[in-house]
Amino acid sequence: MNSLFYPKLALVNIKKNSKFYFPYLLTCVLTSGMFYIMCMIAGSEGINSMMGAEAVSFILMFGTIVIGIFSVIFLFYTNSFLMKRRKKEIGLYNILGMEKRHISMILLYETLITGAGTVAAGLITGILFSKLIFLLLYKMIQFKVPLSFYISGFSMAVTCILFFGIFFLALLFNLWQIKLTNPIDLLKGSSMGEREPKSKLVIALVGAITLGAGYYIAITTESPLKAISLFFVAVLLVIAGTYCLFTSGSIVLLKFLRKNKAYYYKTKNFTSVSGMIYRMKQNAVGLANICILSTAVLLMISTTVALYVSMDEQLETRYPTDISLEFFDFKEDMRSKVIEAVNSAAESQGRKLFDLKYYDSISVAAVLEGNKFETENVDFYNESKLFALMFITDEDYSRLTGKNISLRENEAVAYGIHGRLDDSFEIFGEKYNIIDYADSFPVEGMGYLGTVYCFVVNSDEFMSMSAPSEYGSSNSFQGIKYSVSFDFDGTKDEKIAFADVIFDELSTIKYSGDNNDDNPNYRFYVESRQRVEDEIYALDGGFLFLGIFLGFLFLIATVLIIYYKQISEGYDDRERYNIMQKVGMSHKEVKDSIKSQIIKVFFLPLIMAIIHIAAAFKMVTRLLAIFNLTNVLLFAKCTAATMVVFAIIYGIVYSLTARVYYKIVK
Amino acid sequence: MMILEVNNLKKIYTARHAGNNVQALSNVCFSVEQGEYVAIMGESGSGKTTLLNILAALDKPTSGDVLLNGKNIVSIDEREISAFRRNNLGFVFQDFNLLDTFSVRDNIFLPLVLSGKKYEEMEEKLGPIAHKLGIEDILEKFPYEVSGGQKQRTAVARALITEPKLILADEPTGALDSHAADGLLKLFDELNGDGQTVLMVTHSTKAASHAKRVLFIKDGEVFHQIYKGSQTTEEMYQKISTTLTLIATGGGKNE
Repeated sequence: MNSLFYPKLALVNIKKNSKFYFPYLLTCVLTSGMFYIMCMIAGSEGINSMMGAEAVSFILMFGTIVIGIFSVIFLFYTNSFLMKRRKKEIGLYNILGMEKRHISMILLYETLITGAGTVAAGLITGILFSKLIFLLLYKMIQFKVPLSFYISGFSMAVTCILFFGIFFLALLFNLWQIKLTNPIDLLKGSSMGEREPKSKLVIALVGAITLGAGYYIAITTESPLKAISLFFVAVLLVIAGTYCLFTSGSIVLLKFLRKNKAYYYKTKNFTSVSGMIYRMKQNAVGLANICILSTAVLLMISTTVALYVSMDEQLETRYPTDISLEFFDFKEDMRSKVIEAVNSAAESQGRKLFDLKYYDSISVAAVLEGNKFETENVDFYNESKLFALMFITDEDYSRLTGKNISLRENEAVAYGIHGRLDDSFEIFGEKYNIIDYADSFPVEGMGYLGTVYCFVVNSDEFMSMSAPSEYGSSNSFQGIKYSVSFDFDGTKDEKIAFADVIFDELSTIKYSGDNNDDNPNYRFYVESRQRVEDEIYALDGGFLFLGIFLGFLFLIATVLIIYYKQISEGYDDRERYNIMQKVGMSHKEVKDSIKSQIIKVFFLPLIMAIIHIAAAFKMVTRLLAIFNLTNVLLFAKCTAATMVVFAIIYGIVYSLTARVYYKIVK
Repeated sequence: MMILEVNNLKKIYTARHAGNNVQALSNVCFSVEQGEYVAIMGESGSGKTTLLNILAALDKPTSGDVLLNGKNIVSIDEREISAFRRNNLGFVFQDFNLLDTFSVRDNIFLPLVLSGKKYEEMEEKLGPIAHKLGIEDILEKFPYEVSGGQKQRTAVARALITEPKLILADEPTGALDSHAADGLLKLFDELNGDGQTVLMVTHSTKAASHAKRVLFIKDGEVFHQIYKGSQTTEEMYQKISTTLTLIATGGGKNE
């Protein structure tokens, strides 16, 4: 045989099957291109030299890995779809006298051609677009260093290894399939699976329970820290539930509908219900995939957009003043020395201070049991009734607010963001009566811990509270914290410079008459809003970039699955509609029936995805609180906007692929 | 009473590119009386299928009329034609044309559901038909679970359930073994005995010998017809064979 026979035949096959092959090849090109770009950016020098580099490069690394794993799963999935469709053709070769090893040769050449072609095209696309993507990323993270564009040999190598690996595995899978089957099976291959699916009530039930459990976790989790640990549990439960429900629940439901005679024997339901029972058998997994991918896209885009849009707000929440200082384990005369140091630093730098605030506070995390706040052995990650408590003195409160209040022992003024307590509470073995509720509070607490309560107490009592030796096992108790905060004038660079001066000044504070061993390790923190600004921009911009990048990738996958679903169903349904027309169904009825059936099947995953998002909403707001995004309304808006845009794209994809479907059925 | 009247039916297929026209039917005229059982025979390419498609309102003739119960189906509006077909005609096909996604019962109900009938009414109609056809036990089964003969009985039940004026059967025994074919032909005899008008297109001499009248089509025209009258089926079989032989050997030209 001519040595060019196999490559030629392989090429002809690819051309002949272009309806199936083209989208697959396009996906290969896009995924490999995107993988290259992500890989290159993650390893680029420019990124690693910027502020907040660690966070951004972690995000990008994570993105690279996700794209890699996704590529493996997704290309394998589409490959198996292609093989299923092509079984008849391969069976024919077999019957016409080709041995299995000849067929294997054809498949080998096909893989070589498609693999080499798509990876090469993918790399070229990646290199061409990498500059654009780089610009996009730099814009998002507000990175002003000149563009460091280059072609990364390392990334090219990694891309080649990964994608050739995938193609090789797919080839092995295909060869194995051919080895296992006989020609008759191959001929019948794509028409197998015509039996009516059984309803698996148990799996449907498991699906309902796992989905319900996932939703329950998402809706009932109050504490942000707990949300972190439970988020992935909820995600896994929802994914499992989605698969179970789509594969079995749908069939149970449809069979239930079929039992309802008054509903089932209606012209518009009759063909669509029975048709969907079969469709579900073949396409339930595809629909579940679409649903989960859609959910992922919606979740990623909405959260990252919300984070990006609210960057300034986050700064405002987390860093309300230009500089805030915190001191722990300090000595009595520290307070005045700090203020002195700040003032002298301002003088030397020529900065003018505004809104200088200073106060003592005690913060502790506690669990409420009845009226009693338990502070010992609090488990931050698993406790749902976690409260962040903050105490300040009546003196400080009066000074900060200008309202003159004086409290007696065992009296407290309370302030709660999320509601009120009973009339009294107990902590550190002391009982306090709440004599009043404040409408606002002059200082901020640890919002990310969950429910926050602030209390004003008598100054002497405050001091005794600061040394609760018998309650020392509380893992969140840090004693008295002295906080100083202020704004000042100047440009961003001047402000950063001033923060550095303050830091140096504070490091050199000596206690009066101190012999340094006494308490050399007083701790203090300097937080400069201007200093973290860049880091937050980098972090949120990085997230947005990743969200859009992965969102785009998942969207492509969704589109491809939808496309393949439509074609394969088109071929399956053609015969059925042919028969129905012969029996007396008009063109219009056929068209209507197809439409109602496709729309039901098609928009089910979208609706399910939207329900998932709605259920996840509360938990995601808790998670975003950790990033100091507390503006729920803003997040709701971002989510709604993302949903609308996604639904429109989904609708467009639907109408385009539906056209392909109609063409086949006609 | 005349139930079907076919006048000067002509069908010319025009090839899309070449001016190469094929005349499938040149001039077909015949009529079917209420309660008749007519078989149409002819070789491959004689125009049988074209004729049946036109009678079934699936295709339009180039010229000529088809009157079903006095109504000209050639001129029926495109939108009404499906409903007309559903209400007046019953179809039995060689390859059954049952839907795998429906149970036997639902396959039979299909035309009624399309007409928007109530479930109770459908059940009422199904009872006697299923009993007569002996398919009561398989109503809940799916087409892939029953034999060829049972499939064809299901198709007959589907054709009967709308109480059509005319049953059109296209090679109904073509995909059946001889035993099942005999059963089906006996069934057609019984249905005809109950007054059902049947028009069957077939290759099979045996199938045709059950009909009361056999029309022979050749080169797009009704070439000859024979009546069964009081003859037995065996005698009819002989007569049809002789006629077919005559036609095949060109006897027509000497007649």
